[in-house]
Formats: sequence, structure tokens, C-alpha cells
Amino acid sequence: MTVPRETGAIHDIGYRHYTGPRLGVPYIARSLTLHSLRGAFGLGRATRSKVVPFLLLAAMVVPAFVIAMVVVLGGADELPLEYTSYAVRLGAVVTIFVAAQSPQAVSRDLRFRLVALYFARPISRATYVRSKLIAMSAALFAFLTAPLVVLYVGALLGELDVWDNTVGFLKGVAGAAMFAVVLASVGLAIAAWTPRRGIGVAAIVTVLTLLGGISAIVAGVAADQDEDTLSGWAGLISPVSVVDGVQVWLLDSSAAVVAGPPGEWGGPAFALAAVVLVASCYLLLMRRYRAVTDA
Amino acid sequence: MSAVTLSSVSRWYGDVVAVNDVTMTIGPGITGLLGPNGAGKSTLISMMAGFLAPSAGTVELDGRAVWRHEDAYRHIGIVPETEAAYDVVTGATFVLANARLHGLADAAAAARRAIELVDMAAAADREIGTYSKGMKQRIKMASALVHDPAVLLLDEPFNGMDPRQRLHLMDLLTRLGTEGRTVLFSSHILEEVEEIAGTIEVVVAGRHAASGDFREIRRLMTERPHQYTVSSSDDRALAAAVVAEGAASAVELGETLRVQSSDQGRFVHVLPRLARDGGIRLFSVSPADESLESVFAYLVTR
Amino acid sequence: MNSTIASLTLRTLLGRRRAWLLLVLPLALLVLSVILRLTIGEEDRNDAAVAVLGSFGIATVVPLLALIAGTGALAGEIDDGSIVYLLSKPISRHVIVTTKLAVSGAVVTVFGAVPVFLAGLVLVGGADRLAIAYGLGALVAGVTYCAAFLLLSVVTRNAVVVGLVYALVWEAGVGNVLPGAQALSIQQWSLAVTRSIVGADRAEALELTAAVRPQVAVVLLVVVLVGATYLAGRRLRSLRVTFAA
Repeated sequence: MTVPRETGAIHDIGYRHYTGPRLGVPYIARSLTLHSLRGAFGLGRATRSKVVPFLLLAAMVVPAFVIAMVVVLGGADELPLEYTSYAVRLGAVVTIFVAAQSPQAVSRDLRFRLVALYFARPISRATYVRSKLIAMSAALFAFLTAPLVVLYVGALLGELDVWDNTVGFLKGVAGAAMFAVVLASVGLAIAAWTPRRGIGVAAIVTVLTLLGGISAIVAGVAADQDEDTLSGWAGLISPVSVVDGVQVWLLDSSAAVVAGPPGEWGGPAFALAAVVLVASCYLLLMRRYRAVTDA
Repeated sequence: MSAVTLSSVSRWYGDVVAVNDVTMTIGPGITGLLGPNGAGKSTLISMMAGFLAPSAGTVELDGRAVWRHEDAYRHIGIVPETEAAYDVVTGATFVLANARLHGLADAAAAARRAIELVDMAAAADREIGTYSKGMKQRIKMASALVHDPAVLLLDEPFNGMDPRQRLHLMDLLTRLGTEGRTVLFSSHILEEVEEIAGTIEVVVAGRHAASGDFREIRRLMTERPHQYTVSSSDDRALAAAVVAEGAASAVELGETLRVQSSDQGRFVHVLPRLARDGGIRLFSVSPADESLESVFAYLVTR
Repeated sequence: MNSTIASLTLRTLLGRRRAWLLLVLPLALLVLSVILRLTIGEEDRNDAAVAVLGSFGIATVVPLLALIAGTGALAGEIDDGSIVYLLSKPISRHVIVTTKLAVSGAVVTVFGAVPVFLAGLVLVGGADRLAIAYGLGALVAGVTYCAAFLLLSVVTRNAVVVGLVYALVWEAGVGNVLPGAQALSIQQWSLAVTRSIVGADRAEALELTAAVRPQVAVVLLVVVLVGATYLAGRRLRSLRVTFAA
């Protein structure tokens, strides 16, 4: 007896669709930002990835600590440097932090082809880029503000002028925010260029150090030649000195590099340069993620 | 004829024991290293390949330890699971480079032979980045065979291959095994191991659970009763007869008759006689769990 | 020296992205030198040369180049696991390391020491033997940095960052705070070599300083070069390579 062939049929095997509330794109963006921010310090990952950021953080804070100790115990009248200059003085450490952690944020996703997975969710290119930028800027901001806090506490304990130091501290924090945004943008834009972490780190360091070095040499040589205007404009070459220039103009601080922005139009020009830099990096990142399948 | 010997090998990472007191000898022919993911197969192969030192015990090739012994690589070919990053190099160049690194006298000829062996001659001049997964595996195999090694170690070689490529690779491995080489491959997929491996080493949770021909392993596990599926002209009568005879510990009547016997020898002898005496036609008698699947499942849940 | 490894390493180092980075550094140096040459008066050029070739050339360009080449020669392969193909061959690990050192050293010389020399020529011509002095200083610095970074590549997965911290923070920053640290700096040792070629008197006049005497510097350079290479070879023998999953 032949058994009639049955056509295939799907029975109810208990699979349930999720019909509950969905939290929407803002939640996704928040989660991605928080996750990337924590990743910048190695939190939520293996212990090995915490070593570098915390080591660098220590390298950043220890000098501030030493200065604070000297002030408290040595009884100085004021801090040996302005709050706004700290980031520039320790520029090497800041550069290395940006260089080491920007690839953590973007290169891993590219290398292990996770980007396609991200965009399979209801998250747009812009949301992804913005989340990463906000996360990296926040991480840098924390990184740059920590030593300032140490300096401020040291100043208060050392019974230095409260008003001066509070104003200085707030200026430093404002400056830190600007540094954070600019450097994070530059770092991420370069890191997204390659899926390999090692090259990303080297590229960011090369670019930032080169630009910083060239800017310093041009400014220094120009200053030697009494070409002070040129010395000031040389600051436009390097992102760090650009932000320092904006600090000088907006926050009325003294230049941490060779010379501040020159003349009447120097300040606004530097501010414009900073904005243009951030915008271009943003656009570069947006373009980068247009072809997601590119590795 | 080379043999890889592991003696009381253990490997731990801090508190995690990846391999626990494993002793085995891998001889000529094809050996399948079988175990679920995380059982320690890759760790074992890494140690046999001299890339990882055992925390305890020794891993030897023909009596000499492989760890920190670079000359051993003259006789060992390794096909790792890692995705090579040599995407911009052509297959031919890659195999040729490997041949040269081995210091072969006529590297170009050896490379060509190896590429033909894996049937990649047509695609050899394309960049590795353009290869499919199966093709990449085959090029890796060519690079591992280029120096004619006596021992071949493959880590999950059938991963991601389509049926046709799998058949081709099985064919190749069988040929190599018949030539007298010592071929070891790891897998968590039972059909693959079942088909070509003469000897099977089962590794579960870092422990060496069983070794040998899989039927032999089964026979060794007399604790678990053997199951047979019998279909006949009169299942009920046959079941009654079997139970009365005492040859079965349990019977189950359903679509077919399922018999659980704890003494395999007796049941197999008893059944035809009972059927003949009862005038029952036997249509099929098959062991229900002699496949590697059940052996494996049994070992895993133990 | 293994020619196959050498050509493989060279191919990796001169791959597209890395080649860009390797080019941009000497280019910046040369362009800067040309600009300065055109804008500075003759009497200041020697000082400018010391600043450019010393603080920029030997202190920045050369270590960065060595970092890119030194870690690129080995760290990348270890990171993505393709070192397996190199290690599964009957080749002495020391041979592997020395070959990679030779290749990366050559790359750093071509992209670093030679441009430093040329930049010196552009700036001051043959004056005070500055060009050749800095060129040679850059050469010894580059090769020694490469050896150090190769060792780092074998010892840690974060070779690039550690190398950076050493080159940019330890040598540049800490050296200013802790005078003792200056003695442990490849940069200072190569500057000592440079100084000895220029001659002590002229060096004084140009404010070309070094933390150690040339003889000590040479010894230290050789010790680090040989020691790092040997240690790297030894560590490579015990390198843990685990297959995925």
C-alpha cells in the first residue's frame, strides 16, 4: 500500500514572536555610546585591555599629583602652570591615549566584520558614528579632567587663592572638553581607515606627532627670527595647538605652545579651524561607513 | 612510519584545566580526534604541533619531544584553522614560499606537486583573498604537504566546507593515510570522523574518554544495554518469545519492535531460533545505537 | 638570514597602508628642511639644523619609523596568527629574528637615516659635518630601536603602545625630569655618537648635548642591539600559538 506523499507543513512548535515594547533607536544609541565609552578604558573586557588605558591614566595624573604635593607641602603661592596648559604639556601621553584607544572603538568592529551586524539593526550610519564620537570624546574628557581635579584639590588644600583657582579649573575643564572633541574626531577618523589595530595606532601617533612637531619647529624658528605673526599662525598646523589657540582666545589663558593666535583675527580663525576639523572628520567617518562591506 | 606519543599530558591555564592527563599514541593511518567544542582538541593539536608546551607530561614524535625542537617540522605538516592574512599573495606564491622556507632543494617542483595533489592547479594563480573557504583550506593543505611530511595534523579541516569539497578532502586524506602517513584530524562532526578515520580518539572535557575503532568502543561499554530495532511479521509474538527466553531486559512495541538486551552475544544467537520456532518472518534487524552518534552521546552525557 | 623570510617581511612592510606612513615621515622632514633653508638666514642655519635633525629627526621621526617597521615586521603576524606558517618550519628562531631585524633596519635606514642625512645637506650643506653626523646617529638609533621593538613584539601583544610610551614619554618627557633616565635612552646614545663625529668643541657651540660619553654610548647601543635580538629569538622559541577555538 502506498502512503500518499504529504506536503510539508509547519506546525506550531512554540516559537513566539516578541510583541512587547521595543525601546527604539535612542536606547540603541545610548547603549552603543556607553559600551564604547567603557571599552575605551577596557571596562567590560578582559583584564589585559585595562592595562594600557589605566597605565596611561596614571601617567597623566601622577605629574599632577606631584605638583599638588609640592604645592601643599612646599607652600607655594600659586600653581606652576595654568590648568589650561596641562593637556598640552603632557601632550605625548594624551596622544598615546588617543592613538591606543581610538582603534579599540572602531577598528575591532571593522576587523571582525561586526559593522554589518550593527547596521542590520535599526541604527543608521549617523547614529553609529555619533555614538562612537560621543563615547570617545567623553573618554578623553574624563582622561583630561582627572589631573585637573587633582591639581584643584591640591590647590585648595595648599590654601591657594580659591577664586583664582576655581576660575582656572573651570577654564581647564572647558578646554579639556574642546581638546576631547577635536582629538577624538581626529583619532576616530584615522582609526577607521584601517581594520588593523597596530597600523591604526601608528598612524594616529604619526599624524599627531608630525603635525605637532612641524608646528613647534616652524613656530620656534619663526619666533627666533622675530616673525611673531608667522609664529602664531604656525599653530594652525597641529590640532593640539589649534585648540590651545581657541583656549587663548575664548578663555583668556596664556598659550601653552610657542605663540598664541596672532592679531585680531587669530582667535576666530583658530576657532573656525577647530570647527572645520571636527566637521571634516565627521564627514570622513560618515563616508567610511557608507560601504559597510569594505574591510 | 612515524608516531606521535602523548604521555600523561596535561595543560592548564591558571585554574582552568584544558587537557587532563591524556595518554595516547597516534600511529600511521588516519586518526580522528573527536570531541565537543571546548573539549581540548585544539589544545592537544597545538601541543602535538610543538606550539604549546604541556604543563605536565611529554609530547613526543618518534621518541623526541616536539616542544622547542624546530627540526621536527621537517616531518610534520600542520593545517591550522586560522584564517591566513596573506590575502594579496597568490596561492602558488604562498605554497612556493612555504616550500622555500622548508629549504627544499627544488621548491618550485615540490610546490607544483603539492598544488596538484589538492587539485588547485587551476586557481593557483589567483590571489588567496579571492578564494572560497574550501579553496583556502586546500591551499593550506598544499602548503602543509609540500615537504612530504610523515605526520599531518589538521585542526577542524572540514569546517565550512560544502559536501563536494568535503568528499574531495576525505578522498585526499584517505590516500595519504594509505601511503602510510600519520594523519590526525579533529572534528566535532561525527559523520566525517565515522567515514574515514580508522582509529578514533574521543576527548571530552579535557579527558581522554575512549580510543579505538568505534565498534570496539561500543563493545567495551557493556554497562549500557544494546538496543535493536526489529521488524517482523508478528512483533507481539516475537516480543513475548524474546522476553520468555530471557534474552532481553526490555522490549518496546510500537511501529517496530525495540529490544534492549544487555548481553549482545546471546540475543543475536537467540533471535533467529525464536523467529523460526514461532514461524515469524524477520524483515529487518538493525542495531539502533551502534553509530558513532550514540557512542558519542553516551560518552558526553556520562 | 633567510631570503624567503626577508622578502615576505619586506612585502608586509611595504604594503599599501604602512608604506604611506613610512613615506609621510621623511617627506615631512625634507619639506620642512627645504622651507627652513629658504627662510632662515645663513648664520642661524646651524642651530636650526641641530633642532630639526636632533629633536625632530632623531627624537621623533626615527623612533616612529622604527616603531612602524619594527612592530610591523613581527607584531602583525603574531596578532593575526599567521606566524604559524613561519614557526612551523625547521628554521632557527634566531634566524627569523635576525632576518626581520635586517629588513626593518634597512627600511628604517632608507626611510629615516638617509632622509636625515639629506635634510642636513639641504639645511647646512657640509658644514661641521652635521649632515653625516646626524645621518649616522639616525642609522644607529634606527637599527637599535628596531631591535628593541622586535623584542617588544614577541613579549607583549601591546608592543606598539609600549614602544610609543618608551619613545615618546620616557625618552622625551621623563628624561627631562629625572636626569638619570637620560642615560637609559637610545636617543641620547645616538646623539652621543653624533656629537663625537661633529667634534666636542663645535658641539658645545651648537648646544648639541648628549647624556653619555660616546664610548659608553656605543657599548650600550651594541648591548641593546645584540641583547634584544638574542632575547627575542629565545622568546620566539617559546611563543604560545594556539589555534582558534
